[in-house]
Amino acid sequence: MSSQPTQITRIGPLSQPVSLGVEPATFSPDVEAEIDRHLAKYPVARSAILPMMFIVQRERGYLDPPGVLYLANRLKVRVTDIWEVATFYSMIYTKPVGKYHIQVCKTLSCKIMGAGKVTEHCSKKLGIKVGETTPDGRFTLSEVECLGSCGTAPMFQINFDYHENLTPEKIDQVLDALP
Amino acid sequence: MRIEVIGCEPLQLRRVHLENSRSIDVYRANGGYEALKKVLDGMSPDDVINEVKKSALRGRGGAGFPTGMKWGFVPKDSPKPKYVVCNADESEPGTFKDRYLMERDPHMLIEGMLISAYALNAKTNYIYTRGEYRYLIDIMDVALDEARAAGLLGNNILGSNFSCEIYTHTGAGAYICGEETALLSSLEGLRGHPRMKPPFPAVSGLYACPTVVNNVETLTAVPDIIKMGGEAYQKLGTEKSGGTKLWSVSGHVNQPGVYELPMGYDDMEKFIMEDCGGILGGKQLKAVIPGGSSVYIMRADQVVGKDVRMDYEGLVAAGSSVGSGGFIVMDETVDVFESTKNLTEFYKHESCGWCTPCREGTDWLVKVFKRIDQGGGRPEDAQLMLDLCDNIEGKSFCPLGDAASWPIQSAIKRFPEDFLRRLTRNGD
Amino acid sequence: MATELAKVTINGKLFEVPKGARLIDVCREKGFDIPSFCYYADLALQASCRMCLVRIEKMPKLQTSCTITVTDGMVVTTQSEEIEKAQRGMNEFLLANHPLDCPVCDRGGECELQEMTFDWGGLEERFTEEKNYYAERYLSPMVANDPQRCILCKRCTRVCDEWMGEEAIEAGGRGAHTVIGTYLGWLDCSQCGNCIEVCPTGTLLDGTYRHQTRPWELAQTISTCNFCSDGCQMSLGSRSGEVRRVVARDRYVNGINGEFLCVKGRFGHPFVNHEDRIRTPMIRYKKGGKLIPATWDEAIRHVATRLDEIADKHGRDSIGVVGSPRLTNESLYVLRRFATELVGTQNYTTTDLHSLQSFFENLGAPLATHRDIRYAKTIVLLGGDPSELQPLTGKQIRQAVRNGGAQLVLVNSVPIRLREQAALFLHVNPGTDEAVILALADSANDALATEKAGVEAELLAAARQMITTTEGDVVVMFDASLSAEAQEVLAQLATVFGAENRRVLLHPLPLFNNSVGAHDMGMTDRHLSPYQLLDMAGDTIRAMYVAGSFLPEHLEGRAEALGRLDFLVVQELFENDTTAAADVVLPAASYAEQDGTFTNNDGLVQRVRQSIPPLHQAKPDWMIVAQLAKELGMDFGYEASASAVFRGIAERVQAYTGMRYPVLKDETNPIQARHNVVQTDVSEAAATVRTAVEALPDEGEKIFGTPDVGQELFRIGTLTDKVPQFHLLANGNPRPETTAISPLYQIAGVSR
Ligand SMILES: Cc1cc2nc3c(=O)[nH]c(=O)nc-3n(C[C@H](O)[C@H](O)[C@H](O)COP(=O)(O)O)c2cc1C
Ligand code: SF4
Ligand code: FES
Repeated sequence: MSSQPTQITRIGPLSQPVSLGVEPATFSPDVEAEIDRHLAKYPVARSAILPMMFIVQRERGYLDPPGVLYLANRLKVRVTDIWEVATFYSMIYTKPVGKYHIQVCKTLSCKIMGAGKVTEHCSKKLGIKVGETTPDGRFTLSEVECLGSCGTAPMFQINFDYHENLTPEKIDQVLDALP
Repeated sequence: MRIEVIGCEPLQLRRVHLENSRSIDVYRANGGYEALKKVLDGMSPDDVINEVKKSALRGRGGAGFPTGMKWGFVPKDSPKPKYVVCNADESEPGTFKDRYLMERDPHMLIEGMLISAYALNAKTNYIYTRGEYRYLIDIMDVALDEARAAGLLGNNILGSNFSCEIYTHTGAGAYICGEETALLSSLEGLRGHPRMKPPFPAVSGLYACPTVVNNVETLTAVPDIIKMGGEAYQKLGTEKSGGTKLWSVSGHVNQPGVYELPMGYDDMEKFIMEDCGGILGGKQLKAVIPGGSSVYIMRADQVVGKDVRMDYEGLVAAGSSVGSGGFIVMDETVDVFESTKNLTEFYKHESCGWCTPCREGTDWLVKVFKRIDQGGGRPEDAQLMLDLCDNIEGKSFCPLGDAASWPIQSAIKRFPEDFLRRLTRNGD
Repeated sequence: MATELAKVTINGKLFEVPKGARLIDVCREKGFDIPSFCYYADLALQASCRMCLVRIEKMPKLQTSCTITVTDGMVVTTQSEEIEKAQRGMNEFLLANHPLDCPVCDRGGECELQEMTFDWGGLEERFTEEKNYYAERYLSPMVANDPQRCILCKRCTRVCDEWMGEEAIEAGGRGAHTVIGTYLGWLDCSQCGNCIEVCPTGTLLDGTYRHQTRPWELAQTISTCNFCSDGCQMSLGSRSGEVRRVVARDRYVNGINGEFLCVKGRFGHPFVNHEDRIRTPMIRYKKGGKLIPATWDEAIRHVATRLDEIADKHGRDSIGVVGSPRLTNESLYVLRRFATELVGTQNYTTTDLHSLQSFFENLGAPLATHRDIRYAKTIVLLGGDPSELQPLTGKQIRQAVRNGGAQLVLVNSVPIRLREQAALFLHVNPGTDEAVILALADSANDALATEKAGVEAELLAAARQMITTTEGDVVVMFDASLSAEAQEVLAQLATVFGAENRRVLLHPLPLFNNSVGAHDMGMTDRHLSPYQLLDMAGDTIRAMYVAGSFLPEHLEGRAEALGRLDFLVVQELFENDTTAAADVVLPAASYAEQDGTFTNNDGLVQRVRQSIPPLHQAKPDWMIVAQLAKELGMDFGYEASASAVFRGIAERVQAYTGMRYPVLKDETNPIQARHNVVQTDVSEAAATVRTAVEALPDEGEKIFGTPDVGQELFRIGTLTDKVPQFHLLANGNPRPETTAISPLYQIAGVSR
């Protein structure tokens, strides 16, 4: 008995739009290998769309047209399919974001434990409003919904790292410590 | 933050405080993978399902559906591959139990999945983890590699003829993907829209194949059920729902955290006031949301002196429900209008947009909340909001619509003062 | 399929309906109105608008009747306070963020949301908040878009995917911010505009018709498309003598195509009122001279005298008569009578690219209708590219496979788009399709086929297997470019594959709207090709009477042929290479200006109806010919009525016996011509094909890569040349800097 997924092949859309006017992105062999590992998990290539989007995003900052075209070709789907999926998920960026994406949880438990103050403090410290990016492109400040840190509120997530039980001092430490 | 066991022998939380609790060695040294061994030498898939049925285990994801029964729905004779998918999307506000289970004891989840995969003859299985929990995915990947190295994963597990793989999968920021059918859409690489039921996933789920979707806590309960036997497990809890339950406690309590209690723990007041160390700064309790944001909010006087039993029946009787077991405790300083506005914004943000009532209703409600918040409240607004909720509730495509309307309905009914105060023009 | 019956009670009345029927359909059929937006027959279920709620006994909440299939003993309520509140609530939700700008909306007057609001809207608007805003934009030269009006029923995305297989338009964003659109806001597709058609609101709009008229100001005329051979039914919307738009909305027309049309059918109509239309008869008094406008009488008299002279001088066969496969049956029939009975020449034909004469002479099975295709179990497609050349057929094949589980056997030298639906793809070497036909007819030819066409014998066997194990309909389609002999063999395939539980149907894929009709009217029965005729020009043929024009393909390498004629008469809409050589040019009326019939590739005889009066001095082709005949002393006696001509057809053309315009009135139940089904011995033809195939080179070069969408559809022809938008498409549909205004601004000097 093999434990490999049974391959279900789908012939993808057979032509891509011409008016995109860009060449698909290319990646290093390591990255390609990483992508192959994800593709190997699923009987249907399209299932790897989210993991692959995270990788393209990591490599290129966000899903730019070359990145989108790469995904479409690799998954044998139309760019429209990439677009419809990308825009559904709040963690997939179709526009550039700062090097450090500060995501303050604003949902109830954090809210009543002082999420507002956290946002305020970051906003002051960085001189940007929620949804904005610092001119140097280092920081983007966002408010997001519950991140599962309700017991350690208030908190924010910087890129993928959790920082919990935040106080003004702790916020300063965290932000100042960033390379 | 505390991780505590109260009123029973530690079960799910048995290992969390051990050093390197996430390593396979510690797991094995503390009874890990014994259940799997027991299953592989001598239990048939049906035996396993029967034990789970006897255990009266009910789904911990929120719906509380009897797990054994769900497994029973999977058509044995179907030639299609079967899948077990672990729902680790944990996005219900106030809920963070799955997070610590995976962080501290990943192998318990792997063992649980292996056993259910065996029971359902599933060869390929996925753990769908919310994208924000990236560090948990890394932890799970390490644990899976350990298991693979130890011959607990892959072909001919522990020398048996049972072969099985488990893969991690990442979400990307969408609460709705916690809903099992939306989760499957997302796992297929589509937008996370829920699907029509029937057909239920057990019959036609992932890639239109029979699929069982279970919550992390549900699956981690399975090894103990196998080890101690279904009956014993059931006896830990109540007749209708066996075993222990994890409660995530947040908000204005001195000891927020994850607590393991026996199902049917007898006193909710005691739980908040003593076990969780009482209200922060000695303030007065005002409100509790006991089951994650999607359940009715309770007034203090529905809890205090009421001996509310903490299980499905008990909480319903008290005017709310277990949901995902996310306790949000609010003291007297909280304005329930604002807390409800906050949750409504959450549901608006997370509505997938598929169906009319949820998409437009939550958008409209948020706009009304904002207007009132900016002083534009009108006497008729309370009625308007209730009516909009009524037009959503029971008419949406999936339960998110209901989940969005219940907090508002209960808040307006149970905390009218917090609303009316704002609905009268210039204080008249 | 034996249909079990189920007893359902609806609003207290008991009905017996087929078990498993869809509740919403049942209720409507039984006369209980159920509102809905997202439900659309034969598309994937959506159940998202939540308008179709009903109460079903023993079920907890209200149920969406679009998702429920009836079971025995079901008790349903479709009207109650509870249900009405829910439905009014839904309608209110849909209007919440809707701009309510009906007065400036092109859809106003034929908008389903508007109609729904009349029935289910509240008196006062309770939504007093700010509406979510999105700017209007163009998604392509053809498709305008006002996202704010969208109710997200997703009919558009579903037809784009399920009908067209293009997935060019999708829903992006989430929740209240979901918008229908495309990546980077530009629509790269075949521009069929079906998303516009199925849109219940004014969200997706005909970009070529923006702000022209209100729908109710248009006179709606049901007619038949004059582009490809599928014969889609459409409604021409005209106002003050001008065709303004073409639609297939089911509120106006319900033909074989439902609400489907392709880019040509929907957007190709502006040629009708184009300023370049020939306005009056014109005479070139001496070769090389100019065409001088003349009166009809002068022109007709001139033509009559010259033809007489030439007939006397060179004999009757020296006059060639040519008709276009775009003309109505009426015109082609009169032209044939003119040729055979009056002129008495043997030299007549049509300006088609291929002839189906041999196919019809050996027709071994009935023609498949598009409905048959949709419900076929196996479809064999030999050559061609329906998605580009017969788009409705393409859609039917796609749906047969996707919704009906049919198997498609694709034989082609090019991996056309339909390959996505193919169960078997026989990727043959270019020009070797006929080898496969031999193999299908007789496995003895497998060796030859594998050698020449370069497909494995297993595949050939598999294809035969797939056909011979089918229970139900097998439809064999073929590109009309096949050689006469190959057509014979193919026409008799039914005798090879037919069986008790299997019906074989044939479906030719000619290029023009009336290619089949041209055959039926006898215009091709001389087995004469336009090329042959042109080669005789100036030699045995001294004069030609052409209704329509030769195609560029015909004149290629034969540029001077027409110049060699003593006398050339041409009936045309526009001046072109043929009229350039003409001695007399007569202004013909377009399909929109006359009554008549076209016969499509199903053999369906469908009505063409006059939408606007003939432009300038134009006349229907048959009328011109009849007048000339009169001048030459033969009165066909049609008193200027197409229906009279058609009565003649019904009497003289066997396949059309008993037909009359009143019988053809209902486009929903079209009448199929009864083509003679015969058994013939095709062994000789088979032998000829075999020798031809053997003569082919051994290893041909395979063609990989699928042709771009539109490579045929967007090709500029005489008619589409008159539509500026088509020129943008032909130039690769470039994305303009701004999509806020019509992309036409990119073309210098185009005003609209
Ligand atoms: C809007 C919505 C969100 C949900 N989110 C989650 C979730 O985050 N985690 C989870 O385990 N179940 C969630 N559920 C419940 C799942 O739909 C499903 O019932 C559950 O995963 C089944 O597993 P169980 O039987 O073990 O609880 C959600 C349900 C709904 C309607
Ligand atoms: S209720 Fe409707 S819009 Fe809301 S999440 Fe469910 S399907 Fe999506
Ligand atoms: S028609 Fe049933 S939900 Fe839209």
